Amino acid sequence: MVKSRPVILCVDDEENSLLLRKLVLQKAGYEVLTATSGKEALQLTDSRTVDLIVSDHLMPGMNGTELAQLIKAHFPRLPIVLISGINEIPVGAHVADAFLSKIEGPAALCKEIASVLTSAGACAT
Amino acid sequence: MIAHEAVGILMVDDQPGKLLSYEAILEPLGEKLLKANSGREALEHLLHNEVAVVLMDVSMPEMDGFQLADMIREHPRFQRTAIIFISAVHLTDVDRLKGYERGAVDYISVPVIPELLRAKVSVFAELYRKTQQLERLNRELERRVAERTEELRESESQFRSLANSIPQLAWMANAEAAMLWFNQRWYDYTGTTLEEVQGGGWKLLLHPEYVSRVVAGLDRCWAAGDAWEDTFPLRGQDGTYRWFLSRALPIRDASGHIVRWFGTNTDITERKQAEEALVKSERLAAMGRLAGIIAHEINNPLEAIANAFYLLRDHPSLDEEARYYSRLAEEELSRVAHITKQTLSFYRESRHAVPVSLSEILDNVIELQSRRFEMNRITLEKQFKTRGTVQGFPVELKQVFLNIIGNAVQAMPEGGRLRIALIECSDPRTRRKGVRVSVFDTGVGISREHSKKIFEPFFSTKETKGTGLGLWISKGIIQKYQGTIRFRSVRFAKGNVTCFSIFIPAAAAIESPELAGVLVA
Repeated sequence: MVKSRPVILCVDDEENSLLLRKLVLQKAGYEVLTATSGKEALQLTDSRTVDLIVSDHLMPGMNGTELAQLIKAHFPRLPIVLISGINEIPVGAHVADAFLSKIEGPAALCKEIASVLTSAGACAT
Repeated sequence: MIAHEAVGILMVDDQPGKLLSYEAILEPLGEKLLKANSGREALEHLLHNEVAVVLMDVSMPEMDGFQLADMIREHPRFQRTAIIFISAVHLTDVDRLKGYERGAVDYISVPVIPELLRAKVSVFAELYRKTQQLERLNRELERRVAERTEELRESESQFRSLANSIPQLAWMANAEAAMLWFNQRWYDYTGTTLEEVQGGGWKLLLHPEYVSRVVAGLDRCWAAGDAWEDTFPLRGQDGTYRWFLSRALPIRDASGHIVRWFGTNTDITERKQAEEALVKSERLAAMGRLAGIIAHEINNPLEAIANAFYLLRDHPSLDEEARYYSRLAEEELSRVAHITKQTLSFYRESRHAVPVSLSEILDNVIELQSRRFEMNRITLEKQFKTRGTVQGFPVELKQVFLNIIGNAVQAMPEGGRLRIALIECSDPRTRRKGVRVSVFDTGVGISREHSKKIFEPFFSTKETKGTGLGLWISKGIIQKYQGTIRFRSVRFAKGNVTCFSIFIPAAAAIESPELAGVLVA
């Protein structure tokens, strides 16, 4: 049971967005951790087992792309999905496993996460 | 003027004593006295000296005075030389004297009265001197006139070649502002003649909206003698207007009076177009940035709302009716999301070219235009033989195809067929591999007259609807990809077929977009 529920770390500086995204992901069957900054997210990945990170790109302090680069430096196999409100593919975002516009909607987000998790799993085995 | 320049007085007499007495009489005049004992000797003197007056005895052996006078008169140099005959009074002599109609001839009878002889000789000598001076003056004047004429001819020809070699149109008006002259470039551009543009005829070449302003400005400067400058369109012989920066300067004489106005018209159409294009592209770029900011501000709450409705969708606490409302709201929300995605996604693109699928771009454009296809009863035929992946920037590529397909739709207000083909191929000229997009329409077609201009900035057949920049920008974008954009418009009995064909090399080295964030028309 524990094994069958992947843990997703959700990062966003806006609380409403973060909460609703968490609920959507929980509804999709994931266990969800949240962080409101890149720094907090990094601390959490040190203490908790995380299967995938979903991070907003545009955040004060460390942005999502910078977070993705740091994560990949420490945990090369930890998948990370970047989402953004400005549809922009930021410079350096290619280190993330996927990039998604926020307006693609919850269904597209869940689908993307599932697909990234599947290929990450395939890589692991 | 020199006060007294000695002139030659030739005295002819066979008797040396008489010569001596004439010499004594004439000495006080201070002239150059020459003596001859015979006609022959006299002629000798005449040939070697400038002689103003010949004083001669009528009766001489060998050759008498009249014979000598005739001989002297025959020579062209001496036809006007004054001759004074000295003789006893004979009626026959007076009659013969009358025969000399030309030249100064006088007669002194013997015995010679010294004062009279001196007076007569002095009058003739003075006359000669004056005549000589006058001739010298005339010659000098003639020489100076010739010199000045030559200088003028030279400076005029220099002026003309200068005036015809400058890239400007040039003209001259007199002090009363009447047009006098135009350079060749003026005639070449306007296709007019001097007669047509004189007397205010040039005003007909001004764009009607500018006539009153230009005329008022010129009148003001012409009245005040100030330099004039204005910018306005002038009609060329092909009937189109081009923009000219026009200037006129007064040319003054030594006393400061205006004698001429010299004017030029410099073609600044291209500069003006470039400036306007820059302003427009800057404005469009600013709109693009604004769109990016708006998109961000809308997309964030939009996602939150979409997530909230997603959670509500099957929430057990909702009854059937509430779920229905929630479903309606979610559907409408997806429309908002769709719109912001399509229209506000003029985000700044990444600085590096990314793989772009032209089939996806085309599908995207087709989707955006689908309502217009329906409204204009346009049937669409898609022939995508490849994904058409090139290295590039999706937004500007989308802009190109929105423009080309949008134009095709606008060319078919009465309906028609639109065929969009996408193939992999190589450029016949450079042999580079790439992707070709062909857009065929059965619309109004492109006239031969328009076909030369459709890639020019501000050329539009859409009256007030078009910016006239679409194809110009599209061409600029395609050229940046080292691609080509061509078109053909063929007239058939059943109607026209127009095809725009765009070739983009598969791997072009391109820089970041210059015209990022350009809004869809």
